[in-house]
Amino acid sequence: MTDTRKPAAVRLRWIAAAAMAVLAVLWPLLSANTFYVTLGTMVVLSMIGASSLNLIIRTGHISLAHAAFMGVAAYVCVLLQIHLQWAFVPAMLAGCVASGLLGLLLGPVVLRLTGKYFVLVTFLLGEIIRMVFLEWRSLTGGANGIENMPPVPSFIDTPLSFYYFSLFVAVLSIGIVWRILCSETGRAIDAVREADRIAECSGIPVIRLKVAMFALACALVGLQGALQVYLVRGIDPSGFSMEVSLGMVVMNVLGGMYYLIGPLLGAAFMVALPELLRGYVELQQVIFGITLIVVMAALPGGIIDLAAMLRRAGARALGRSGS
Amino acid sequence: MFGKTKAKAVTFIAAMTLMAGAGAQEQLKIGGIGPLSGGGTAWGLALQRGVQMAIDKVNAEGGLKVGDKTYTPSLVMYDDKYTSAGGRLAADRLVNAENVKFIIGPIGSPSVLAAVGVTTPAKVVVLSNGFSNAILKNDAKAPYNFRALVSTVEFGPPMVKWFREHYPDVKKVALVAPNDAVGQSVVPQLETYYKANGFEVWTELYDRGTKEFTPLMTRMMAQGVDALDLNSNAPGEAALLLKQARQTGFKKPIWQIGGPSVDEIMEIGGPLAEGFVSLNVFDFSEPVAQDFLKTYRAKYGDGVLNAQTPVWYNAAATLFEAMRRAGSTDVTAVRDALEKLDGYETELFGPMHWGGTADYGVAHQMLLKFWMVQVKDGKQASLGALMPEQR
Amino acid sequence: MFSLPVLSQVLINGLSLGAIYILVALGFTLLFGIMRVVNFAHGAFAMLGGYALYYLYGVYKVPYPVAILGGALLVATVSLALERLVFRWFYHKMFQSMIALMGLNMALVYTCVMIWDVSERSLPAAAEGILDLGGVLLPADRLVIMGIAIVVLAAFWLFVTHTRHGLAMRAAALDVEIAASQGVNTGFIYKLAFFIAIFMTALAGGLYAQTYALSPFMGERPLMVAFIVVILGGMGSVSGAALGGLLLGFAESFLSTFYGASVSAFVSFGVVIALLVFRPWGLLGKPE
Repeated sequence: MTDTRKPAAVRLRWIAAAAMAVLAVLWPLLSANTFYVTLGTMVVLSMIGASSLNLIIRTGHISLAHAAFMGVAAYVCVLLQIHLQWAFVPAMLAGCVASGLLGLLLGPVVLRLTGKYFVLVTFLLGEIIRMVFLEWRSLTGGANGIENMPPVPSFIDTPLSFYYFSLFVAVLSIGIVWRILCSETGRAIDAVREADRIAECSGIPVIRLKVAMFALACALVGLQGALQVYLVRGIDPSGFSMEVSLGMVVMNVLGGMYYLIGPLLGAAFMVALPELLRGYVELQQVIFGITLIVVMAALPGGIIDLAAMLRRAGARALGRSGS
Repeated sequence: MFGKTKAKAVTFIAAMTLMAGAGAQEQLKIGGIGPLSGGGTAWGLALQRGVQMAIDKVNAEGGLKVGDKTYTPSLVMYDDKYTSAGGRLAADRLVNAENVKFIIGPIGSPSVLAAVGVTTPAKVVVLSNGFSNAILKNDAKAPYNFRALVSTVEFGPPMVKWFREHYPDVKKVALVAPNDAVGQSVVPQLETYYKANGFEVWTELYDRGTKEFTPLMTRMMAQGVDALDLNSNAPGEAALLLKQARQTGFKKPIWQIGGPSVDEIMEIGGPLAEGFVSLNVFDFSEPVAQDFLKTYRAKYGDGVLNAQTPVWYNAAATLFEAMRRAGSTDVTAVRDALEKLDGYETELFGPMHWGGTADYGVAHQMLLKFWMVQVKDGKQASLGALMPEQR
Repeated sequence: MFSLPVLSQVLINGLSLGAIYILVALGFTLLFGIMRVVNFAHGAFAMLGGYALYYLYGVYKVPYPVAILGGALLVATVSLALERLVFRWFYHKMFQSMIALMGLNMALVYTCVMIWDVSERSLPAAAEGILDLGGVLLPADRLVIMGIAIVVLAAFWLFVTHTRHGLAMRAAALDVEIAASQGVNTGFIYKLAFFIAIFMTALAGGLYAQTYALSPFMGERPLMVAFIVVILGGMGSVSGAALGGLLLGFAESFLSTFYGASVSAFVSFGVVIALLVFRPWGLLGKPE
């Protein structure tokens, strides 16, 4: 069940969310080492992408083109600054508008497909967009990308300030997603996912809802794109490939698709873990692959399911009646 | 009984003293960044192994003697997955978490450019590779970056001149390359060199990952080209291009200004590789090359020796020499000593030079000798050595 | 450029490409048709087939027909263990199977990296020489592949139409519960289908490795090709895979020769997207 209103379950999620928030704010102060601040920034930015993808996944569609939309926003943001001398924040917002508009344009066409067909069409769509980045050399610099990035704006030019700004943007973005999922619209989304024909019969405009969520998600992921290219001081097509989109999907699936905290945990897990486990790269990949298999077989709802299972097991052990 | 205990005690004390003495050698961490997963893994491993071999050699000689201290160098190698984000994180970790002052790598331009964003402000010496000019040619004049491998800008001009002299009948050359960062950089550069030497050029880029070139070769032959230059293709693709070109009936000369891929081409092309001309980092008939190969085989088995391995070995060995001459491991002193190494006789490549002022504004491009080789009767025959122009 | 010799060469090239693409796609479509599993580890099994052939034919010099069949049999047999451990949990669960099999793909590929190193190896060719058919050239090893493709397709068609097990498989593909109620041993049929699918995939992988090169990452391209061919032809349809393979082979040969590689890629992707939007069940598939 996706929306247990049992007080214990809700309280647990609130506690978890609060704990994460506190950790996020205090993170840079935990170590003098700027490497951990950079790592934290990457985790926070990935959360933007993963949580925005969750909007699309909640409507019942798995998109493998999300990183491509991120790339559209990032390129628009950088090009506006270089060629039209826009300031950073307006350019970032314009980039999000661009990717959102593209999502609005393509949504009605692709969202009519469901299941595996939607996955395949977004896979190909992502590849086409990436090929456009690669081929349109005069605009995007092709495979080498744009190497002379505009300078980082002064209010975020230290690792610490960049981290807090990214955190701020992430909280805004995640907040928007959360508000939608908790509202009437959120319930409509759940209805559409579970049984879209029936939802249509009860008056929910299914296609319009799916397109709206798709466009919004594509706009929000642009925030990650615009900030991430500053972090790595360069923009090139490899950052927006199918592998990156797949990574975002895995963040959702591993963490848990049906609660917003799932993709957040998934993002932290997938970005931070390889860094903390440096070395034995091949073995890491093998273990990661096996983990995916096991999680999918045993915990289809993601790691969040594990928490629920443990809670139920704990309740049984304590002799209370089941939840 | 008593004698045995005394002997044990003496051995114990001797061992402790030896250990203490050995402990007096300081650790010197050398950072390494390269792709260890995904498509670029062969090059990442080449870097890791080349540098490790240089370190092993130094340690076998008792350590690195710098000034009046002796150091034990060790390699801390991180995977950048051949992406800019990976390069950034790896550099960040090496510089901030491991306090490394000398980094060898990364290999691809996006990764290098992301890494130097961290290393230049932190004053860390970087010996890297990457086809982008922006690595050396920038406003800051790349104070701490050096490029350890020659790029097309260095070996292109002398090779094109060589081909002009030795193949007077060739008028139109085909340049086929992958549509990625390397191909998109190299093909325009080569085009200018060819045109400057009186050649006509036809270019075509293919989607990286393709291994089927028969339609492309048919297309190429319909253009009436007189020669095919495999330029920046990876060894596997270069070999397939040659084989499929010959299988489609292309009988004109095939050469490669780039690579080297000679081993792979001979293995995959078989008899079809006859007459192929390319550069190689070694003249494998020379004893110094054979020794290197032997050491590599002893440690890493029978796989193909990636041609970048000896060049990264050289990069590490040159870095160590700079430290010896500087008499300290202070970064600025080592950097200055490195810049003064023009003419230093390297172990594998003869005298090295610094160049690149005309192209990049700063002389931080390592110039190394390379050999022109041809496949004759199923073997590599050396046609002579060339040196990049020192500009 | 649009002369007869060039066009004839384009035709022959297209046929030879189509043959490889058909072989690569067959196993993929079979697994989907019967068990509704999108096998994201398809490329990895092809790669294993390549390594099997490398050892049997390249290292131990077993005669070619024995090596190619034996290698595929070996991989298929060993993979039955994977069917028990992994695939079994995901039949008819489209979405979980996708992610889990991606995980399997990663595990298999990187295990092979640990065992065999990343460098590319080559296998000796099945046949040397180049045939000259009136000005049009065809390498002998490509002719062998075309021959094998025809034999495999014919054998498979005979199996599904004329044997008991083949008919049982088709019944299970249409509706597994009714087939079971009719007395079909669905557990056995699933294992048989899996075995055949992996056999064909490993066979295709061996041929692919011979034609191009062998490395742990070799399977990425066959997976892409399988996807496109099967989308074109229809998921679960063997005749669709044959048609899709031929179409893709000819399209690539024609477009790449006359218009260059990037045009070819854009057009292929565009057509497939259009097909997915307007006719997702492919040319010869059935709407669900």
